[in-house]
Amino acid sequence: MNCDESHLLLEAYADGELDLVRHIELETHLKACPACLRRSEGIAARRTRIRETLPRFNAPQALGETIRASLRAEAQKTAGQRPIRFLVASQWWNLAGLAASVTVALLAGYSWGGHSARSNSVAKEAFAEHMRSLQANHLMDVISTDRHTVKPWFAGKLDFSPPVVDLADIGFPLAGGRMDQIDGHTAAALVFRRRLHTINVFVWPARDAVPPPTSASESGFSAQGWTNGGLNFLAVSEIPAADLEQFVGEYKNRTQ
Amino acid sequence: MEASAPTEMSTFEQLMLPHLDSAYNLSRWLLRNPHDAEDAVQEACLRAFRSFSGFRGADGRAWFLTIVRNVCYSHLRHGKREFPKVAFEEDLHGSPQDSGETNAQCWLEAKGDLLRQALERLPAEYREVIVLHDVEGLSYREIAGVAEIPLGTVMSRLARGRGKLQTEIVTLSESTSP
Repeated sequence: MNCDESHLLLEAYADGELDLVRHIELETHLKACPACLRRSEGIAARRTRIRETLPRFNAPQALGETIRASLRAEAQKTAGQRPIRFLVASQWWNLAGLAASVTVALLAGYSWGGHSARSNSVAKEAFAEHMRSLQANHLMDVISTDRHTVKPWFAGKLDFSPPVVDLADIGFPLAGGRMDQIDGHTAAALVFRRRLHTINVFVWPARDAVPPPTSASESGFSAQGWTNGGLNFLAVSEIPAADLEQFVGEYKNRTQ
Repeated sequence: MEASAPTEMSTFEQLMLPHLDSAYNLSRWLLRNPHDAEDAVQEACLRAFRSFSGFRGADGRAWFLTIVRNVCYSHLRHGKREFPKVAFEEDLHGSPQDSGETNAQCWLEAKGDLLRQALERLPAEYREVIVLHDVEGLSYREIAGVAEIPLGTVMSRLARGRGKLQTEIVTLSESTSP
């Protein structure tokens, strides 16, 4: 690790947010580089000062009461109109991760600039979904290496049929699938493995949707998109771009 | 499963109202005004309650804060409030320009009030990551979820935000000292 690389990581190091490998690499560098060590100490001191000094504003007592009252009014209003569906508590805790549908619905409310800006926002969203999918328990709703299990699982849940292929013979075994959201549309996310890494392939109908970017990269993730048979595809992963290209090429071959 | 509205309401209150202080704190920092902050939290609570059937996550606080943040941003977009003094420029790849070691003395002398003023002058994008991380104690990953930005962006915004905060403190303490 050189000094430029270490400068990028010092803040996250002070926050204890580096992964183990980079943490060790950075500490090795700091032992050998007094200038970076001094910078690191400065950043740590600044962080401590901010955390100790910034005030936290607590909600006024009356706010809780006002909110309870308006919730009661709201509940009475809706009780007469429609039954509210919700999952029982025991089911919630099995389903980890954020309520993607809500966040995407909120995202969709934003106004985007142009076409390419929206394509970019699709990529950004896919990166975020990919990252979220790497969190424990959110990766897969159906776990199977058999495409004949994964494909029918989607049948009752989507109004389109994502083509599911198996690429185990070239080193990308299928691992499962889940429901996701891209650009306000319900999407199928197919999960593939590359050794210890994960590839998410998002599939959603092309009608009224912007096409996915043909390629994009951000913070070590890369993405490649295409459209085929009325469906948008976007493959996202942290594997090298060349490996992802091989994966996408073969995926296209076998679905055409 | 169907549930009666009163049961849903008490479940909602049990899961979300413990995070009222976090919600108010974020809102207060983003809108920089107690009245607007209360309005936004109240609006966010109603929105959260209406979409509660869509909540399936284990992390109620992150879900609630996402809604609070979105309400605050729409207030900021529609409001004609004072503009931040420091321009927001996203830089995903460049290195944070500060060293963290300059003017170490000004940090020791920085009173809480000066730090608060300095933070209020930063653009909302920096303010929120600093508040969520340094005041509310959320992890980078949780912030990525709440602010709907990639993990790498959380890291770079926090680094740049703290650097800009330091610059603001220097500027403010120079302008107030005789």
